[in-house]
Amino acid sequence: MRELLLECQGWLAYLERPSVLIQLLLAIIPVAVSRRARQRRLIKHWPAEAYPFLGIILLTLAVLGLASVGHSFGLTLLLGLFWLGWFSLHLLHRLLLIWLPEEPTHQLESRLLRPAFLVAASIILVSEVDSIQDLAVAPLGELFGISINAGKLFEALVVIYLVLVGCGPPAAGLAWIAQRALGLRDGSRKAMELILRYTVVGIGLVIVAVQLGLNTNALIAVAGGLSVGLGFGIKEVFSNFVSGLWLLFEGSVRPGEVLLLDGDPCEVRRLGLRATLLWRDRDNAELLVPNQTFFTEATTTFTASDRMRRSQVSVGAAYHHNPSDVIALLENTALSVSRVLPHPAPKALLVNYGDSAINYALRFWIANPLDNSSISSEVSQAIWHAFKQQDIEIPFPQQVEYSMVWPPEKHQSNNGRT
Amino acid sequence: MLGLLTGLSLTGCSSWNLPNVLYLSLSTNSDQTIDATLLQDYREKLSILNGGYRQIHPSTYFQFSLYPEERIIQAMQRRTGAGLGPDVLFVNGETAKRLVAQRLADPFPINAALAQQLNPEDLQRMRITNGALAGLPILIQTQVACFNRKHLSQAPTTLQALLSASAKGHRIGLSIELTSLFWSAGSMGAVDAVQQLESGQTVKPDAKNSLTNWLSWLQNANHQQRVTFYANQSAALNEFRAGHLDWIPCSSVSLPSLRKTLGESLGVASLPSGPGGMASPINRLRVFALGRSSSQAGRERALAFSRFAVNPLVQHNLTVGAQTVLPANRFVKVPTQSSGTLKALSASKSSGQRSAAVSDLLHQDDPRIISAQSIISSLVFGEVSPNKAANDLIHLFQKER
Repeated sequence: MRELLLECQGWLAYLERPSVLIQLLLAIIPVAVSRRARQRRLIKHWPAEAYPFLGIILLTLAVLGLASVGHSFGLTLLLGLFWLGWFSLHLLHRLLLIWLPEEPTHQLESRLLRPAFLVAASIILVSEVDSIQDLAVAPLGELFGISINAGKLFEALVVIYLVLVGCGPPAAGLAWIAQRALGLRDGSRKAMELILRYTVVGIGLVIVAVQLGLNTNALIAVAGGLSVGLGFGIKEVFSNFVSGLWLLFEGSVRPGEVLLLDGDPCEVRRLGLRATLLWRDRDNAELLVPNQTFFTEATTTFTASDRMRRSQVSVGAAYHHNPSDVIALLENTALSVSRVLPHPAPKALLVNYGDSAINYALRFWIANPLDNSSISSEVSQAIWHAFKQQDIEIPFPQQVEYSMVWPPEKHQSNNGRT
Repeated sequence: MLGLLTGLSLTGCSSWNLPNVLYLSLSTNSDQTIDATLLQDYREKLSILNGGYRQIHPSTYFQFSLYPEERIIQAMQRRTGAGLGPDVLFVNGETAKRLVAQRLADPFPINAALAQQLNPEDLQRMRITNGALAGLPILIQTQVACFNRKHLSQAPTTLQALLSASAKGHRIGLSIELTSLFWSAGSMGAVDAVQQLESGQTVKPDAKNSLTNWLSWLQNANHQQRVTFYANQSAALNEFRAGHLDWIPCSSVSLPSLRKTLGESLGVASLPSGPGGMASPINRLRVFALGRSSSQAGRERALAFSRFAVNPLVQHNLTVGAQTVLPANRFVKVPTQSSGTLKALSASKSSGQRSAAVSDLLHQDDPRIISAQSIISSLVFGEVSPNKAANDLIHLFQKER
């Protein structure tokens, strides 16, 4: 490691060369000028996106100038190309947005394209000052008796990163194929996708370890050491991870499921390594709930065996209306609401005789548990209109206020009698 | 940028004195693979040089970069174009000439005092058309015979003895790479013929006969049950290292890695002579060429280091310490009496004088070499007759002129 750092330190001495300093300056100045010009809008009528072209023109002039006097210009050209490449990524972002939604575009850019560009640029730059081949074999130290060099470590990190970032789309594709072939539900597809991702990441890590030359005994030793560490140090993290895996296999909490959390139906958006991301319709909030919560506590789900939910609206009708007529009207009203499922059929019940009305409950089934509030509202409105049409009164408690006098003997009722 | 930032952080931002670094690029031979062992091997060998130099100039640091011989020109084009080329290149003589010809290295400004320490023949080999010196000769790498003492008590001294050894059950390995195989041309008396071919002269009937004889011997050798031809020298080396071969021709720079694997079992001897005379191994003159990107201070460091490298004491240490190279300084006496390896190297150097002209004319990525190897490959595996192969070689070299 020390040798590698000394090697990097040695590159500093290139600054001793006037030709290197001139090239660096001629690469930095055009970029700085174009940025400054964009910030101050020095050229009127130029959109902000056009200012990098000013930098490109200046860089081209600088390179041509150096070449015309027989000066080295490779470094200026290279740095200019890097800058052009970086600028092209901005343009590519807009192109990608034509075919892909915002979120995948952002992920593709931030997780793959930009890191890949930076790594490639670093390698090219290093190869300008040194031999990549001998840097790659520079020893960094030993791990379980295996000599690790810079190249091996770099390869391992790149593979791990690519596996972590890149296994998403293939896993999603395989899960989609499995869904088509086996007729799985969306929740099962998402669960399968996540399990495939974890499997690929696991296999990828083992392959990297084997590629590095770690033998199986060393891996077992690592696993043993980790298990002790997990027991003491990161118990909660590991517990949440295992809970997440268990829930996936069990299928009780999968992306797409609808759970009742604190009285509100929430949709499972993502089952992560540590926590589950839920979406609450009521206020569009996203809730991060540790996985072990679902593992250790009772959870109400609307989507375990099917996605239907039985909903209920309560209403009161005056005592003088025939309950049979009211019940029939309620059931017909529920059926008239489009989002109420005809099967199972809506069912109205006389619940009790209240103080001022006979109380009824109308129970009906809906397809999406998250639509409960809005459909209940629609049904309630339909009942109001139906009752009005049929002259069915919805009574409400009436109170009469009168003033008391003291002593009570002097008190008179409203009609003047004591 | 990362390096610069790391460097800044390591040196401390308070001090802006840049370190005195001498950038040194080295080329490796085609039979060497750049790996941790080779890197360590080069570091150890160069520590004799740079360790001594740092005793006189303690503020100077060295930074090495290794490139395969066939890729060093391309790498230097890129680095020199960016002003980031090395101060000194430690390369084969013919590579140094190509570097200078392509304006990737500056001619070496040698003075009379320095020149008189070196062999005039070596200096002559390094002269380019305008008389300037492409590089300063530092060392000579030779080709010798490597054998496994456990299986073969003595190395064969003639081609006949070599084939007899194979008939007795000893496993012989050869490479079809022309530079590795050329030693046998001398033993079969075909050096002059190859030289005539390369220089574009009309090949005389006698020369063609000797060329055909050499090619016949190669084909005959492959007919022996225990003689194996490999596609390249590194494959033969790996088999020898693994104990699957008892005798191979090898470059002296491969000796350290072979010693590490075989230990005392490794024997080193001269290559076998034959009816045509001594073997004609291709010996490499390793030289220092001056990079073109150096600052003024960098160039001064490069020149001082070059002068230091041909110092007799340093040359002696390099020769005796590594026992893989011979000194370019003609006043350094090689202790051949005390070391069998150095004796073999010296003998190889002497017999290789004849092939010096050939090796100067051919470089490793010369397209003629690739075509010639293809012809030799067809010959060795019996697809073409020696006569046809000789005609093909003559046609190839005359066409390419």
